[in-house]
Amino acid sequence: MDIGFWVFQTLNALQLSMLLFLLSVGLTVIFGLMHFVNLAHGALYAFGAYVAATVAGGLGYWPGFLLAPVLVAAIGLLLYAGLIRRMRKSGPMAQVLVTFGLIFALLDLTRIIWGDLAFGMELPAVLSGRVTIGSVEYPTYRLFIIALGAGVFGALALILGRTQIGAMIRAGVDNDAMASCLGINVERLFFVVFCIGCALAGLAGAIAAPILSVTPDMGLQILIPTLIVVVIGGLGSLKGAITGSLIYGFVQTFGAVLVPNLASVLIYALLAVVLVMRPAGLFPAKG
Amino acid sequence: MKTLLSAGAAALATTSLVHPAAAEDITVGLLLPYSGVYAALGQDIEAGFRLGLEQFGGETDATFEIVAEDTEVKPPVGLAKARKLVLQDKVDVIAGIVSSGVLGAVSDFVDSAKVPLIVANAGNDEATGANCSPYIVRMSFSNGQVNRPMGKWMREQGINTVFTMAPDYAAGQQMIAGFVEGFQSAGGEIVGQEFTPFQKTQDFGPYLAKAKASGADAVYVFYAGGEAISFVKQYDSFGLKSGLPLYGAGFLTSPLYVEAEGPAAEGVIAALHYVPTIDNEANAAFVATFEAKTGRTPSEYAAHGYDAAHALVLATAAGATDRESIAAALPKVSFSGPRGATAIDPATNNIVQPIYVYETVAGTDGLTQKVLAELPAEADPANGCDLAAASN
Amino acid sequence: MFRLTPVRSGALGLLAALGLYAAFSAEYFGLEILTEIAILSMLVIALDMVAGFGGMVSLCHGALLGIGAYAYAGLTTMTGADPFLALLGAVVLTGIAGFLVGAVCAGSQGIYFIMVTLAFGQMAYAFFFESAAFGGDDGIAGVPRLDLSGLGVDLGDSRSFVLFCMILLALVTLFAAHILRSGLGRTLVGLKTNEQRMRALGVRSWRAKAYTFGISGMIAGLAGVLAAQHTMYISPGLLNWTVSGEALVVVILGGLGTLVGPLVGATAFVLIKHEVSALTPYWHLVTGVILIAVVMSGANGIFGFFEAQLERLRNRSKPAVEGKLKQGSVHDA
Repeated sequence: MDIGFWVFQTLNALQLSMLLFLLSVGLTVIFGLMHFVNLAHGALYAFGAYVAATVAGGLGYWPGFLLAPVLVAAIGLLLYAGLIRRMRKSGPMAQVLVTFGLIFALLDLTRIIWGDLAFGMELPAVLSGRVTIGSVEYPTYRLFIIALGAGVFGALALILGRTQIGAMIRAGVDNDAMASCLGINVERLFFVVFCIGCALAGLAGAIAAPILSVTPDMGLQILIPTLIVVVIGGLGSLKGAITGSLIYGFVQTFGAVLVPNLASVLIYALLAVVLVMRPAGLFPAKG
Repeated sequence: MKTLLSAGAAALATTSLVHPAAAEDITVGLLLPYSGVYAALGQDIEAGFRLGLEQFGGETDATFEIVAEDTEVKPPVGLAKARKLVLQDKVDVIAGIVSSGVLGAVSDFVDSAKVPLIVANAGNDEATGANCSPYIVRMSFSNGQVNRPMGKWMREQGINTVFTMAPDYAAGQQMIAGFVEGFQSAGGEIVGQEFTPFQKTQDFGPYLAKAKASGADAVYVFYAGGEAISFVKQYDSFGLKSGLPLYGAGFLTSPLYVEAEGPAAEGVIAALHYVPTIDNEANAAFVATFEAKTGRTPSEYAAHGYDAAHALVLATAAGATDRESIAAALPKVSFSGPRGATAIDPATNNIVQPIYVYETVAGTDGLTQKVLAELPAEADPANGCDLAAASN
Repeated sequence: MFRLTPVRSGALGLLAALGLYAAFSAEYFGLEILTEIAILSMLVIALDMVAGFGGMVSLCHGALLGIGAYAYAGLTTMTGADPFLALLGAVVLTGIAGFLVGAVCAGSQGIYFIMVTLAFGQMAYAFFFESAAFGGDDGIAGVPRLDLSGLGVDLGDSRSFVLFCMILLALVTLFAAHILRSGLGRTLVGLKTNEQRMRALGVRSWRAKAYTFGISGMIAGLAGVLAAQHTMYISPGLLNWTVSGEALVVVILGGLGTLVGPLVGATAFVLIKHEVSALTPYWHLVTGVILIAVVMSGANGIFGFFEAQLERLRNRSKPAVEGKLKQGSVHDA
């Protein structure tokens, strides 16, 4: 196996990692602030993919790409106002269960709206070619996903680390009661973060749509990998989300190529090992 | 709606049991997935089946009542529903079954209950091989049957070496085994094989690098449904199609999924027992009426349903009136349908049909299927099935 | 700790009576549904023991059920073992599997616990899915039922089989109640309420958790053996995490940590599923909405709701003990 093979597979791993990062970062930050795992996150991703594919079918790729996060954020807004806010006083388990019910409901809603047939989404000409890197020819669109994921990571790191709203979010993750005593409107913060998390799930759906098939169960399929990422990384932290995504992407990709017989077990074994060694993941937000 | 139908059907079935003379009322249990990953297939098969009864119903005195049940693509659910159809609704015949898992769960039961089952999709070779039954007749295809002749045909096109890929489950292994058998016996060489985790593989990129590095003349794959769409698009996006042509079992670019695949599917050459562009009179009529009814081009799944209904009508026209006589009449059925000359092999109760090699090409109105060759019908080897011995 | 209050004994008696009535009056498909309810009830009782009383929300109970089913099917069809011995073997095996999972996961909490159990469950699923020896995704057909002809009972008959399942379910329910009222059960609830304090008192938390998980695994394994006998065919789908997820929904729907609630939940879930799926293929939507409504109502499931109403009625005459019997619900988990 030559150097080109390793470059090629590394790019594959990065591409998968970045897709998972976009999904897991919203999930993990929502958890950090609000202490519950939104299991319906995968359903929002599927919704984003459907919106993107539908809009792209009529208006072209870019409107779909831009509208998907906006519409999914709008759905997040409805969910927050209708369900999540009312559940703030209940424990995390009750919130998890509400989102579990949402998975069922949203799955069938997608089937009612879009039917059972799979959708596809075409790429714009500018992204549909291939780029030559050294001896390797690689699809432009996959490089675009890597760049987009890295860009979102950079922007979030900057916002969380360097801006006032970032400081407020970090304060909220650390101790929301104290943050609220200091005059931070924690409730509004929750709301904003929840909507941004949903928008990122929608964005992930929109960028996944052209390379995967858009089917009603795509949200359920991606849910488990996303949960594995956030749990390996440790809930609540940006660093955990990116580390977990990279670990998942590389283990999955190189596992598939180098030890194909173990491909489907490898990531679960890794998850079990990580959690047995470090019961709260690698980089949990709070000790 | 289904409840009403089944209540009516159950009432009818009871009367038909009490008065054998009125046995022209045939109750058909449709056992299909209406939810779960194969919901779209279930809908197409049902549409085809109902159209078939409507189209050919005039050829028999019998009338048909349908009781439909959802298998949810879960074997235990499928079995429970099959028991319900047989023991409570007292159906005369069951048709349907998309997944081989559900077929595996149901086959022992229908065999011991002596209820004829017309399989309208599930392709597991064993169902008409080692596990065959005089009560199970398959009107769809078997996994090996679709792929075996393609090996020989590709060899004739001058392809010497092939890399194969398929999902790692029974159907994937049988499809590839069928192809490999045909290809190797014609002198071809398999230079590499990959079986990807079934329904867990979303990114085929890692495997495609291996296919490319293998130096094969062509790649032969079996993928269906959502996986087929992802695979075809990713194969194209890595630019493999020009240097390493893609061949496969025809489910890869089925009319049901080809629109979602888009231009990535152009130029893919595949083998299947039915495509809507087969040039014969029966198919022209089928395509026209199916389109008028549903607004869609019929898929191979719709054809399974249509032909299953046709076979049932012919069996009753030949005088079959109850479970036993329908089971006896079905293997003797033969007709010229959308797939050409179609018959049942009495040695295995599997369908015998030609296989069509087709290329997906851009048509005036989206993608269409250009038939390149019609490979002659061949009966599957008996594979441990001893129906022929039993009937003698 | 589990208390067998009059309300609960009454509810159990009522359920048993309804079950018996249904078993003798139902038509063919009714018996099929009743068997499904009985087997699901057994699985969710196992789950309620760990999740409701021990706070260990498990996503591997579907896998434990599947291991039991595979062990039974494998022993009977491949080695030709006597079905009784196969049943015992399967239950012992799932007990060991449950014990090991419980011991390894004892250090994890909350969502992390859920995820480790998910990981173990999915590993078992992948193993059976890819194992050629166990038939891969084709599964194993021709699984025999127990031969009770010595007692004059033919389990091939649907009505006998449903009664057989219901008797086992009754025994399992009493066994679970007994365990939960024993020292182990008290320790478990103590650990759920305040693990640090229990450790300070000298309790080795992992042992209590592992033993409970082992017992719960045995019950789940028995449910698996019955499931294999019921359909006489098994496939890896039994081990998928969605089975565990559904079981969790059933426990919540019925009432977590009440032992009676899961039975109510299983009955409600199976009936809703069959009734709604007869009307529309979109039964997931209806189940999802019902689940959301139940959780948002603030009650501890269907049974928890009725229990609270009855307690309120009783306490009107005896205001002093108000709220004393209130059990923990998902809302303070």
